[in-house]
Amino acid sequence: MNIVLNGVTVAIKSPPLASLLTVLREELNVTSTKVGCEQGGCGACTALVNGKPQRTCLTPIAAVDGASVTTVEGLGDSDHLTAVQQSFVNHYAAQCGFCTPAMIIAATAYLEGNGSSDREEIEEALKGHTCRCTGYQKIVSAVAAAVAETTFDLTVTTPSPNTVIKSGGQT
Amino acid sequence: MKVVGARLPRYDGVGHVTGQTQYVDDVRVQGMLWAKALRSPVHHAKITHLDTAKAEAMSGVHAVVTWRDVPLLEYGHLSALGIPADEPLLAKDTVRYMGQPIALVAADDEDTAQAAVNAIEVKFEELPTLFDVRNAFDEGAPKIHQWGNWYPHFEGDMDRRQIRKGNIEDAFDRADKIISGVYRPAAIEHVPLETQVSLVVPEPDGRLTIYSCTQALYFSLAVVAAHLEVPMNRIKIVGGTVGGGFGGKVDTATETLTALAAMKANRPVKWRWTREEEFLVSSTRAPWHMEIIDAVTEDGWILGRKMLTLHDSGAYARFSPYGLTKHSFHHTGAYTIPNLHFDGYVVFTNRTPTTAMRGFGVTSISFAVETHLSRIADELGLDPYEVRLKNANRINDTSPNRIRYTDPSSVEVIQALSEAAGGELAPAYAGATRAPREGEMLPEHLIGQLKTEGH
Ligand code: FES
Ligand code: FES
Repeated sequence: MNIVLNGVTVAIKSPPLASLLTVLREELNVTSTKVGCEQGGCGACTALVNGKPQRTCLTPIAAVDGASVTTVEGLGDSDHLTAVQQSFVNHYAAQCGFCTPAMIIAATAYLEGNGSSDREEIEEALKGHTCRCTGYQKIVSAVAAAVAETTFDLTVTTPSPNTVIKSGGQT
Repeated sequence: MKVVGARLPRYDGVGHVTGQTQYVDDVRVQGMLWAKALRSPVHHAKITHLDTAKAEAMSGVHAVVTWRDVPLLEYGHLSALGIPADEPLLAKDTVRYMGQPIALVAADDEDTAQAAVNAIEVKFEELPTLFDVRNAFDEGAPKIHQWGNWYPHFEGDMDRRQIRKGNIEDAFDRADKIISGVYRPAAIEHVPLETQVSLVVPEPDGRLTIYSCTQALYFSLAVVAAHLEVPMNRIKIVGGTVGGGFGGKVDTATETLTALAAMKANRPVKWRWTREEEFLVSSTRAPWHMEIIDAVTEDGWILGRKMLTLHDSGAYARFSPYGLTKHSFHHTGAYTIPNLHFDGYVVFTNRTPTTAMRGFGVTSISFAVETHLSRIADELGLDPYEVRLKNANRINDTSPNRIRYTDPSSVEVIQALSEAAGGELAPAYAGATRAPREGEMLPEHLIGQLKTEGH
């Protein structure tokens, strides 16, 4: 068995019923896919499989033999963030960060599928991803701004304390 | 001002969005074993038989830890404050809640560890259970804790947190109306996305490196060192990156047992709870039972409050006495009531021990007080904001524990709430401020407190 992980073909030694999540974390040391529930309930283990977001905890490795698998390690690195990644940073869409890599994977697929900046559509695209910290508003705002290319720049934005960030609904 | 009002990047933001933030579960070490726990399948029982021989003999199993391996079996979360300990790290002869750990197995992988757990022979003799704090005081109630059914170690060996202030009987004599209510918020699980986890690495120099998701690193350090009976300089805890905690990672949940397993196996050991364990066994916000009886005047002044609180501590005390103490100091909420009679008990039940969660001990009372204030307004036919603004804390008012408020913001908060709700306040209330009481806002029952109390 093998998968194309972030563009590189890698051979898999784990048994066929091992989950893709376990293979990524324990065999390949790709740790951005998180163990949140191992029951398909939280979304924290999501990776792109052939371009579509998929819960790796529920995916036996044998079922994705030969597939292309993308995790955030395959998106931008710290010097070259993608628009979605930058938007998450700037909109404070990550607090503890445990749900974040999977959220970014889902948002990336949404943008690539020409998703709009409509908040309800974004919510629909991210539903099934649990975040216990942010209250979701900032996550939706980050994705909307990434779509609309209106992510504000932290280095130049110095609003007065009363300025309302329109897209975030937060002061 | 370069900082106030500016949007500054989070120091950890880039790590989060690139997947580079390293949580405990992401730490990689060579030769690591996985741990699984044998947990009580019943709520309350005597352990009549415990035999780990078969589990120990299984291939791939490197350590089985039971109460016999724990140097100091009982150490309380508040022991450092001189409060006695009641909870064993591993159950010895009694289990008091479902899920209580009895043994920990470290093995090559999780499946082997779980198979070894299943191979441990354990027998129970079930005992009567108690789940509702209201039944704890009944004559025939089952005795479920070695200290009795409620915590007996408040200062001076009092069995309750008690507040007496002013002249409660006089307040009730003068009342136009007595308004009472019972409030019972349920337990809440914190549900951090990262379940409880620790990784302990025995170092060649005999020290232990503990990777922990704790919210209270130095606290965990003291708890681990106490149970292991080693000096703190033998333990290095690496923490600070927490995948959500919300108070649920204040208790030292996994570190000590993982350390014992790592020491016994002389290998690194990771213990990561499943989501099911997190829901069933990790501590929750406590359920509370609160009874409020207020003496009020027709125009909405609260002259006095009698209150009984039963705090469900679960099977052991942990931080509950501290939580109840905070609760007692806040039992008038954002309002000033000069005559008080408060009794609060930390009650033991056969539930998972409860713990801190955002606003420990205070969210319960805020819920009860605010609901009760609305009830008072309702029963008196008054505006709920105006009743609140009358009684809201002002400068020089005093708290239940006799602290003089120097700068309370209650008045402005309530005015802002009224405005946000689209309400229209009468001029006397719209113009109210936090300034010391005078005129109509200084009724007779509050004059005494200004003269005699505070410091
Ligand atoms: S770990 Fe896969 S959905 Fe939660
Ligand atoms: S940021 Fe903590 S779970 Fe989403």
